[in-house]
Amino acid sequence: MARVVRATASRPRLPHPGALAAAASTDDAVDAFVKRFTSSGGEVATADSERPPDDWLTDFLRGLDPEVVGVAVGPDVPRELSPGLPEVAAAHAGAGISLAWAAVADTGSLVLPSTGTRAVQLLPPVHVVWVPSGQVFARLEDALRELEPELPATVGLHSGPSKSADIGRTVVTGVHGPGRCVAVLS
Amino acid sequence: MHTGMKDYPSRSREIIRGDPGVREAVTGATIAFDRKRLQGYAEVDAEAWRRWAEGVKSHTLTHLDDYLAEAEARLEANGAEVHWAADAAEARRIVTGLADRYSVTSVVKGKSMVTEEIDLNPALEAEGIEVYETDLGEYILQLLEEPPSHILGPAIHKSLQQVQELFADRLGLEPDGDPDTLASAARQVLRDAFIRADMGITGGNFLVAETGTVALIENEGNIRLTTSLPRVHVAVVGIEKLIPRMTDLAGFLQLTARAATGQPIGCFVSLVQGPATHPDDDGPEAVHVVLVDNGRTDVLAHEHAWEALRCLRCGACLNACPVYRQTGGHAYGHVYSGPIGSVLDPGLVGLHEAMPLPFASSLCGACEDACPVRIPIPELLLEWRREAQEEGLTPWRERAALKGLAGVATRPGLYRVVGKIGSRLGGTGMARALPMLGEWAADRALPKPSRRTFRELWREGIE
Ligand code: SF4
Repeated sequence: MARVVRATASRPRLPHPGALAAAASTDDAVDAFVKRFTSSGGEVATADSERPPDDWLTDFLRGLDPEVVGVAVGPDVPRELSPGLPEVAAAHAGAGISLAWAAVADTGSLVLPSTGTRAVQLLPPVHVVWVPSGQVFARLEDALRELEPELPATVGLHSGPSKSADIGRTVVTGVHGPGRCVAVLS
Repeated sequence: MHTGMKDYPSRSREIIRGDPGVREAVTGATIAFDRKRLQGYAEVDAEAWRRWAEGVKSHTLTHLDDYLAEAEARLEANGAEVHWAADAAEARRIVTGLADRYSVTSVVKGKSMVTEEIDLNPALEAEGIEVYETDLGEYILQLLEEPPSHILGPAIHKSLQQVQELFADRLGLEPDGDPDTLASAARQVLRDAFIRADMGITGGNFLVAETGTVALIENEGNIRLTTSLPRVHVAVVGIEKLIPRMTDLAGFLQLTARAATGQPIGCFVSLVQGPATHPDDDGPEAVHVVLVDNGRTDVLAHEHAWEALRCLRCGACLNACPVYRQTGGHAYGHVYSGPIGSVLDPGLVGLHEAMPLPFASSLCGACEDACPVRIPIPELLLEWRREAQEEGLTPWRERAALKGLAGVATRPGLYRVVGKIGSRLGGTGMARALPMLGEWAADRALPKPSRRTFRELWREGIE
């Protein structure tokens, strides 16, 4: 640290330029989120408002290919949002079910606190994430500012499926994290 | 880690003549990255973003003492432990000491340039600890025992066929597997490693002073797993990675991704504040942040070179660089290669050690235009060249040739013609046509049999 003090001593201290002025988006935040998230390979599903959400989710998971049999459910997912499928350890589950703290439009991201149990968010091949209505922020900056006073140990921003182009520059999905990431709007 | 800087010219020759596939692979990949960056920049007011980012980074660097103190206090309040490493040896001692403290036998790593810089893996292996690089590209290179050749795509110089052969040999796969098959085989090996590991080691793209947040950007999810599954997480972070506030981070996460790959943000971002404390959080019980100097304060004190510390390690300058595209990173002989390596290495390891890297550039300026934090790389290269001449580190022929080249380079029309003649004639022909360039041209300006000049390649990249 003494070395840092010495190294900065002779240089004038430059001011912070303030906030990054971002162009105000006129798009609806939810629409903008859907556009960004899907263009990065994420999927969006809308729960059928006529049906109980747990039933809808159960059918949705059964309808996936391959059909999801066992699920891992985050501890903060309310019972009425949990599917009626057998719960198994995250490492063996066909899908992980999480509750996002929020979604962000300008980056197309889901904001996932570590209190939702990370194994559920990371190990299953499919990650299905409930987005609470009214929690879609236009900008990442707004979301992080609001989250800051209650930051958990870790926050994950998930903005699509796991991707790599490390072999022959061909994009493959699901390398380490989930190969499918589904945001559920209600 | 460095492997003898003096060899840049012979190393380039060796790569270009001995392994022509490298140039093809690197040129293809960097042109594709560069095109994506241009698209990513075009979607936002890139000029304003870059000026803003330059401003925040310069502000932070001129207040680095304050922000480091703030970050340390916050991390400790969050339950993380902070360590200071003056050089690579001390950083290695700290990490191996932690491995010993937690009785670690198995480590998973996320891609990180700074752990390459401090040569961490051999130190862990010497303690009998198994180390898995978990980024797919890094894993491939670990099997090949090669250093990364690009910040972002460490294995971009490898073809599909080379990976097929490697996995056939090492993982017993059929030799004609497609990338999906190869990736899923690697995933299986590494999934086991994640489950077994006691310690996860990462770098850090940013460290937010206000919240003590180590921010990590990636696309595969391996870093999220590295910071989540093992019971101990160690983040090795250069002291220049600080930024003041969480709201600054929002801008930098986006700008870094746009500069690197044109994405609006990495597929996965981990924001790590400290160890898991909530009963439902299955994350690590201990988080350690190792703050590494290793020459950075020397760079910070340097009249000009300090600007290079703004670097986000996005790789955009490598992708834009006509010289880097010919060889990839290995020719540079240092962890940090390409344009940024050529200005950072002399500051980190000393100019004498880093020679002749400041000369490995045609000063075309593509790097500066690409850089998200507007580092004036050509200017800094000239500054190092001037210092090298002052210290008598360049032979007189080179000095004279550089004077000639500087004259040519500032007149684009003439430069184009000279470059074209050079590539038609090859190194010696160029030397004959422009005798002042001599040895220098043979080794550096024209290390390729191609009929296309740097400028033609460069134009291809942007059109
Ligand atoms: S110098 Fe600029 S362009 Fe190059 S890696 Fe650093 S931030 Fe990116």
